[in-house]
Amino acid sequence: MKNDNPSNGLCNLWQSQSSELIPMPVDELRQASNRLARRVQWRNLREYAAVAVVVAVFSFYGYRFHAMMLRAGASLTIAGALFMAFQLYRKGSAAEMAAGLEAKNCLEFYRMELVRQRDLLATIWKWYLLPFAPGMILFLLGLLLSVMEQPAAHLHYGLIALVFGATFAVCAGVFVLVGAMNHRAAKELQRQIDALDAARIES
Amino acid sequence: MPGSKDQCDCLYQEAISAHGPALGRLARAYEADAEDRRDLLQEIHLALWRSFAGFDARCSLRTWVYRVAHNAAASHILRSRRARSKTLVSLEEIEEQGGIAARDDTGGSVERSQILERLYAFIQCLNPLDRQVILLYLEGMDAASIGDVTGISSGYAATKIHRIKTILTKRFRSGGDHEKR
Repeated sequence: MKNDNPSNGLCNLWQSQSSELIPMPVDELRQASNRLARRVQWRNLREYAAVAVVVAVFSFYGYRFHAMMLRAGASLTIAGALFMAFQLYRKGSAAEMAAGLEAKNCLEFYRMELVRQRDLLATIWKWYLLPFAPGMILFLLGLLLSVMEQPAAHLHYGLIALVFGATFAVCAGVFVLVGAMNHRAAKELQRQIDALDAARIES
Repeated sequence: MPGSKDQCDCLYQEAISAHGPALGRLARAYEADAEDRRDLLQEIHLALWRSFAGFDARCSLRTWVYRVAHNAAASHILRSRRARSKTLVSLEEIEEQGGIAARDDTGGSVERSQILERLYAFIQCLNPLDRQVILLYLEGMDAASIGDVTGISSGYAATKIHRIKTILTKRFRSGGDHEKR
């Protein structure tokens, strides 16, 4: 015999499932909370360590090379890395768990998270890519000029053009690709925000 | 007013004894991968335990628990690369696509576990808002309570529930039989 409303049967079936509950004693939760905090600290540390490596390497270049353009390029790259580190610190990129989970209803919370991520992705060129561009361009141009000043450079114009052309193209390609991918992801998030807003209006 | 540490621990224990199994089902509905599901469930427990520092009893414990759990799960989905790459649909889109309803799961001998597998697969295709509504519905909440948790109006929640019932009836007719056997 069939139930008139099969969805009621499904509700009963759903609620009668055996639980996958992980028993978590409060002490264990405290430990998990501390572990989480340590993980966030480590991740932050890794990000800052990567910035420190860039700063160390380009400081060495700045010290080792005497050409003005190379030094200016190295200094700008260091400034770009420090700016990025500051932005990472400000935006809290390594936050493991979103804050304010309880403060808002699900619709508000989800929209807020979508907006936060959209803004992060939409502005990535401003705080992640662009700060490196002037330094990298100047540094590569400085390298090119240094190579051109070598006595036998005129014998290898073709090779020099090829190597530097390819390096510029790869750098520019990476920048454009990262920017475009993030722009696309931001657009998809915007689409989801629009759908949520439509639901809110309908609601 | 937010409680002391002990009060928070008590509230957490109370919440888990009343809604723990529902949190397990919620985690499974959000995360298909067993390993990630364990992480998500742990994340939900942690979020819940931490949240009670700010619990002011302006809403019921049940509303609070579901709100925190669904928000933690939605946040998990947004962070998950694999989940982000998946195309999620709304109930309205499913209803419009008559084709999905035509793929009827009415095989008479469908086992209880198979029905649940299909139900989980179906829920995991839904966008977060509709996923929240259907999960709360399956947990036995009415439109007003669903509205409290999700933030949509109770009228809109009722419309969603009606849609859910229609879709579930078409897709899982045998699910209704199960209780009668």
